[in-house]
Amino acid sequence: MESQAFLEKPAMQAVAQKQTAQQSLSWQWAALAAVLLASAGHLLIKFGLISAVPSAAGMDTVARIVHYLLQPAVAGGLAIYGLGTMFWISAVSRRDISFLYPITALNYVLVSVGGKFFFGEYISAGRWLGIGVVVLGVALLQLSVQGERT
Amino acid sequence: MTPSIALWASIALGACAQVFLKKGVSGKSQTGYLSLLLSGWVWAWALCFALATGLWLIALAKIQVSYAFPLLSLGYPIVAVLSMVLLKERVNVPRWIAILVITIGVAIIWKSN
Repeated sequence: MESQAFLEKPAMQAVAQKQTAQQSLSWQWAALAAVLLASAGHLLIKFGLISAVPSAAGMDTVARIVHYLLQPAVAGGLAIYGLGTMFWISAVSRRDISFLYPITALNYVLVSVGGKFFFGEYISAGRWLGIGVVVLGVALLQLSVQGERT
Repeated sequence: MTPSIALWASIALGACAQVFLKKGVSGKSQTGYLSLLLSGWVWAWALCFALATGLWLIALAKIQVSYAFPLLSLGYPIVAVLSMVLLKERVNVPRWIAILVITIGVAIIWKSN
């Protein structure tokens, strides 16, 4: 009996830990995971599209979409984005969408910085300013919900 | 279809999809995934999401990601209005001000292209 208990204990602990993890996966963490995965996914999609554009010349809209979807980096990026969407659904089911959706604005900074460093995109002062104003708006949005209970 | 038209259409459809999803999952239990398949709002989300994704690929293939991606925040005013109408969510004055600031940011990005 003791040896059985010894053998089963790790498995039971794993189950207990999994249950605890599921219970403690708050909407904040789910939203953070959604943001990080969405940013990484979109940069990977852009990476795949850059090399696919020349071979898509002359195709109609539907054929081009299919062609793009068949690029491994595009499909992989969409899969990562899809994983982020799973976390997003989890968060959305617990908070107002008009409160939650703005959290994704963090993506704009992460993706834009990624566009500059990974793809050498020139980001003008005006574009940086616009991105900054968007982030400022998000900060104001967070203030607007302080003290609210939903 | 021009990349620019694909971009704006993708933004609008993507924002609509978010509100349709919230409408579809509202009041459902965490484990009731099967019941979600019976919701027309969830199907509307899936359709808009698929269209938005396809158009996004068309747009992003030709447009810089540091320009196209921040423009997605135009979804804020769209979601705010739709969530008032479809979800009866309250959008208070400070939140409208924040949404206005975000919209100004989008306009600056658009105009500085």
